[in-house]
Order: sequence, then structure tokens, then C-alpha cells
Amino acid sequence: MDSNQQRFVEDALDLLNELDEGLMQLEENPQATAPLEQLFRTIHTIKGAANMFGFEAIGALSHQLEALFDLVRQGKIPVTDGLISITLQAFDKVRGLLKESDIQKINASVELKEHTEIATHFLHQVDIASGGMLSAEGAYHKNEVATFYIKISPVISITTQGNHPLVFIVQDLESVGTAKTFLQENATGEIVCWELFLTTTSPQPELESFFLFVEQDCKAEIHKLGAGNLCEDEEFNQAVESFVSEGFNLEIFQALAATIAEKNRLTAPFSDEEEEEINLSRKKIKSNAVIKVSKYKIDELLDWISELIILQTQVSTIASASTSNKLRDAAERLEIITTRLRDTSLEIGLVPVETLVTKFKRLVRDLSRSLHKKVNFLSEGAETEMDKDVIELMAEPLMHMIRNAIDHGIEKPEQRRAAGKSEHGTVRLKAFNSSAYAHILVSDDGKGIDSAVVLKKAIEQGLVQPDAELSEADTLNLIFHAGLSTASQVSDVSGRGVGMDVVRQRIHELRGSVSVKSQLGKGTSIHIKLPLSRSIIDGLLVRVAEARYVVPLSFVDRIDRIPYQELNLEHRLNKTVIVNGEPLSVFSLRKHFHEESEPPKTSDIISITLEGITKGLAVDRIEGKMQAVLKPLGDVYQQQDYLAGSTILGDGTLALVLDPQRLFKLADNKSLTL
Amino acid sequence: MKNAPEARPYLIFSLGQEKFAINVDHVQEVVEVVPITKVPNVPDFMLGIINLRGRVLPLLDTRVKLNLPKKEVTKKSRILILDIPGEDNKNLEIGALVDVANEVVSIREADIQEAPAVEMNKQATPITGLLNDNGDITMIIDISRVFSLQDIIQVNNN
Repeated sequence: MDSNQQRFVEDALDLLNELDEGLMQLEENPQATAPLEQLFRTIHTIKGAANMFGFEAIGALSHQLEALFDLVRQGKIPVTDGLISITLQAFDKVRGLLKESDIQKINASVELKEHTEIATHFLHQVDIASGGMLSAEGAYHKNEVATFYIKISPVISITTQGNHPLVFIVQDLESVGTAKTFLQENATGEIVCWELFLTTTSPQPELESFFLFVEQDCKAEIHKLGAGNLCEDEEFNQAVESFVSEGFNLEIFQALAATIAEKNRLTAPFSDEEEEEINLSRKKIKSNAVIKVSKYKIDELLDWISELIILQTQVSTIASASTSNKLRDAAERLEIITTRLRDTSLEIGLVPVETLVTKFKRLVRDLSRSLHKKVNFLSEGAETEMDKDVIELMAEPLMHMIRNAIDHGIEKPEQRRAAGKSEHGTVRLKAFNSSAYAHILVSDDGKGIDSAVVLKKAIEQGLVQPDAELSEADTLNLIFHAGLSTASQVSDVSGRGVGMDVVRQRIHELRGSVSVKSQLGKGTSIHIKLPLSRSIIDGLLVRVAEARYVVPLSFVDRIDRIPYQELNLEHRLNKTVIVNGEPLSVFSLRKHFHEESEPPKTSDIISITLEGITKGLAVDRIEGKMQAVLKPLGDVYQQQDYLAGSTILGDGTLALVLDPQRLFKLADNKSLTL
Repeated sequence: MKNAPEARPYLIFSLGQEKFAINVDHVQEVVEVVPITKVPNVPDFMLGIINLRGRVLPLLDTRVKLNLPKKEVTKKSRILILDIPGEDNKNLEIGALVDVANEVVSIREADIQEAPAVEMNKQATPITGLLNDNGDITMIIDISRVFSLQDIIQVNNN
């Protein structure tokens, strides 16, 4: 595959996402024209590009589907489930095949040909169903407003006062739409001809049928001037006035009709809804003005920015110790610019979560059908931006959560009715940014998680002691436990299950956090918080003995200072420390890692909430807030997973970046907690 | 030592009285001891991490790894920045602390004698040969056997 073909593949994958989105919109709202037009254009683009770059099989398939949607556009066939399904399936196949690197294989794909045949067959079927009108030349357009010029010249002698049916026929004609009639009589009052400008929704064959019984008595000419209501157009009316003196010229009128139609298309007032659509598409045009840059280059850029930040902090440190005002001034400006540069470069690598949302819509559609459930999928904040890698890594876990929500959360329609809820369940995906984090909320209004059942299962599995007293939050968090969630029978009963441990693990790998809330009978909500950058984090710089650590700020709730001796719990039964009036389980970095030197008088306790559970981390002193560029510790320290990495401080020394989640886990495993 | 066609460059370093030679292919550079950031809760030979001009590297104690007694860092102590080939073409980049880094010399294959049977704890001895220069013994060691990732992980687990 050459580079053009690879570009086609990339573009096509984007287009296929758009297509999915469009198809789903159309399915929800079969009458809407905007998604239909968009869809048609997208298919057309795929077809054109596929043929241009040598993907003939994809081109052929797109051609058939384009033909189908062209008929939909013309109002000849309705939007049906069948149509949407064959289109979705066909383009799914295309999507799958695009992963293939050998273009020959794509073109030779039997399945692609099958889908083309299905589409051809479908086209054929609807053609037969409509009595062959579709492919017939000059097929009429139902319900389309058009303006006609009709000239009726009687061949017999009649007057307007006479009783000839033709007089009434002309009156009938006038009544099927808006008409301007010009009557020419000769000196004796005999009618030479009627000339009508008629705007009507009746198609031409219908107009022709008016003259069926008077064919012998008159000559009728019917010409379509153009689409749209021309009788209401000033320019047209002027032309009509002048027509009286100048006589009728079909070509002139048709040309005029075309310009008016074009003018109307551009200036026609829109209803609010349409206007919104236009604004949206304008917005889209604006945001579509993009340059494609390889991910590698962006990563490279970010790497260098990271190095720059490190260097800048070193310069700042040196400058602050210096007596030179000029140096301090320059260092300050350097800091401002570095920060801006960092923010801008971080944004470059971010993409909207929109692509995910389309996938999810698709999932909801397919899954709700196969499970016979009625599910609305609502998404909010699809424009929220996240790191492309993070989005890709989160796709699977989120899919899983939505699958769970539909499979186990949302009840069957009859159950929902019995519970006094609407038959349609709702699965909601909400994404938003706050400071350096992206939040994703997945919620449903299903039956919720029965914590009693979860607890019972957990005890059965030996995860929890039978006499253990767990808070509601603790119990709900058990759903993330590998032992609990991999057991399939548990997932059937408790609601959530298979793979939730994988979901949590993935989120942790991305240094994010996840929490779950559920109300029995009302629904479940899962909140995911992810850092925007994978390598630059905001953290608290803390000191413990001679060592310095960074605690990621994302987890920090509050900070309290307590006398150090309160941490001396070795010989006490109560292993918690009272902080801010609450008993808190505290992990002391000094007691575990740095007992070598003289303890300080006070200790700062950092309260950290993870998955609804608050624990304390005791350090000697908090030195301040900092922006840390994460440097991995490498494979040698892979078992020290309670360290997320290290970071270079302003003075060139290193600080270890803690992973509080793993740190507390280490404490639990070794029962090291005070 | 004479330069012969089959001669290869080796870096000589010392641990106490003993001299060792490693193939220079694995040595990126030799640096003076820089500030060391300790990493808690690790085996003894893992001294911590160092900042080498913006690169963060793990620092390992060659003495402790070879079951020799630990020794304080002196002015002569050096860090060998090593690039040890590992599985899947993934190289292990580490700093290895040694007492003294002496010199780079050329050693002919023919001058290398068979290694004595050295008892190491359960692992293949890293000593691959001996060089006897009139009673001045230099041990040729295979650095990838001293510091292998598998080994480090295993020691960590114990």
C-alpha cells in the first residue's frame, strides 16, 4: 500500500465513524433530511476516494449503497430498519477490511462482494415493490413543489361563458396549487389559449391526466419550469408580467427558475432547528480545518517540552539564588512562556471523545436489540478532549461498562413498567474537563447494584470475612475485585461483573481513579477521572527525612498537621489517628521507609480518597505544589509499583513520584498500616 | 600487552583488591559519583536512582551483587553506565557502582585462561575467564550475567 492509500485508509476510518453516526441519527429520525444528506455525501466521498486509490471493491459496494440512499433522498423509498442494518453491516465489513495491509486482499474479499450483492438485491427488491417506477425514466417526485407552465389551446370554438368542460378543467387546474392564469381571446370572444403558471405539489403526469377526456378538443402543453414555489418570487412575477407583452420562451423561464432556486437556497429563511443545524455544520467546517500530523511528532514535541520544563525549573532555582535582577526577571518570563508552551502542546495531542461516543451508540443499538431492551443512549460533552492514546486505551473499558449497564443494569421493558419506570431505559455518558483532568461518567437508570448480594458473594468467595463490617462504598467497590468479577454466576446476580477488575486496572495504569455509586432500583453511576497528560502531573512535593516525594494532586483531599508522636501507634489497639476530628487509617512514609534519622516534631497528613475510601499519608513536611515531569524508573524497579516514577527537581536532584493507590495496597498486603 | 588481530578492548575496574574486565561494548561511559536518590523497600544492591544529564537511571551496587561486603563511596568510586542486552532487544540501562575504574586495555583471546569454578548463589558464574599477567590476576566477567533483569526481579521477590 502506498502512502496515498494509507491516507485513504485513515480518512476512510474517520468517514466510517461519521457514517455510523449519521445512520444512527437517521434511524432515530427517519424523516430528517440533514443526516440523510450528510450520509449520502459521506458514502459518496468514500466511493469516490475508494475508486481513486484503487479500492475498487469498496467503491463498488459504496456505489450500490449510494444508489439506495439516493432513492431515499428522492423520497422513493423510506428509511427502514433493513436499510440501516445492511448499510451498517456492509460498512462494518469495510472497516474490518481496512485493517488489512494488502490492497489485493481487500479487493478480492468475498464478503465485500456478498455485501455488494445484498445491497444490489435490496435495491432490486424495493424496485419491484414499487412497480418498477424507481428505475423508470422520468419517474415523478412525490410531494415535490414545482412550478409549471401550461398552455391550453382549444381546437374547437369555445368561450368563457360556454359550458365546455375545458373551462372547468382549467379552473380545477388552478385549484391544485397557486396559479397565474392568462387568457387570450380573439375579437369575437373565442378563446385562443389559456396560459397558466402553476405552482403545485402534483406531479406532471397527474397534471397531464386532467386533459385525458378533452384530448380531442384542445392542445395542452405542460412544461416544468423548475422546482420550488416560483409564483411567490418577485423576480419571477416580474418576468410573468413582461411575458404578456413579450410572449413565452421556455428556455428563458427555465433559466430564470434555476437562478431563483439557487438564490432561494442561499437566502431562504430557516426555522430555528434548521438554523441550528447550519450553525453546527459551520462550526464543523471551522473545526475541520486541520492539518494531519503524525502522533510520533507530537510525542516527540511533548518529550522536548518536558525536558524544557525540567531545565526551566533548574534555571528558576539558580536565578532565585542569584542577586542579579536581570537573571531573575528573565527566569520569570521563561517560566511563563514554558507554561504556555506546555499547555498549547498538550492540547495539540488531545482529540475529542466524539469518536468513542459513536462507537458506543452503535454498541447500545446492537446490544439493546439483541437483549430485547429499550435503551436510550444520551451523551453529553462529546467535544471533551483527551489524549488520543488515553481515548484508545479507555475504549475497551468504557465499552465494557456500557455493556454491563445494558446487560445487567437496564431491566426488560415489562419489568420497568412493573417498577413504575418508563419502558425506555437510559444509559448516559457524560464527559467533561476540569483543570488537568478529564472526567467520564457512565450512568444508567436500571435496577442498581444490590450491595447485599455483592457482599454475600464476596463472603462466599472468601474475599471478605463473614463478620467484616463494610460501608456501602466499600461493598460497592468489591465489584472491581478480580476474584468477584471473574465469576460468571456472580455477574448474573450482582449486575456488574466480568472484567470490572480489568477496567479498574486500566484506569490505574493511566493514573486515574474510578468510583461507583448505586441506588437499588434507581440505577448505577460510575465516575472515572483521568489525567490529561500521561507524563506531566501536578503534585505536592513532600519531604520525608532526607528524601523527597511527589504525591499526585489528583488524589489529595486535604492536608492537616499533627504532632509526630500521634503516629506512634505501635503499642496501641486503635491503629487509627484522629485527624480533623475523624479517625483515619494513616500510612507513614517515615515509619516504613525512613526510620534512620531523628523524627520531626510534627507530621503533615495528606488525606487521600480512593474509590470512596479515605486514608492518610504521613510525611514530615509539605514543601509545596509542583509540576512534575514523570520519568519512568525503568524495568529494574518494576516491582516497586507503588512508585509511579521519578521527577527531576529544580536543583537537579530526583524525587520519587508515589502511586497512592498501590502504596496503600502495599500497606494492606503487608499489614503495615499503623 | 600487544595488539593482535583477535585482541578486544576491555574496561578494567576494581572491587577492593580484585580486578575485573568487562567488554567495552556494554559500557556507554564512566562517570563520577553523582547524588543518589534512594528508593525505599528494595534489596540492598539497588542503591537508588541517579540523574544523568536529564536521564533517570537505576544505580546498582556491583559489590553487593557479587556478594562482596558493602563499602562506603570514596573519591575514587565510579559509576559505569552500562547498556546490557536483554530479551526482545530490550536493553537494560543501568549505572553500576565500582570502587575504581582503571583503564581500557586490549586483551587477546589467546591470553585468556579458563575460569576457575566459582560458587555463586545458585546462578551461573559471571566469571568467564582469567588473565594472568605474572601473578596479577584480572577476572573477565560477563556483565549481562551479573545484572540480568530476570535476576533482579527474582532477587526482588525473595
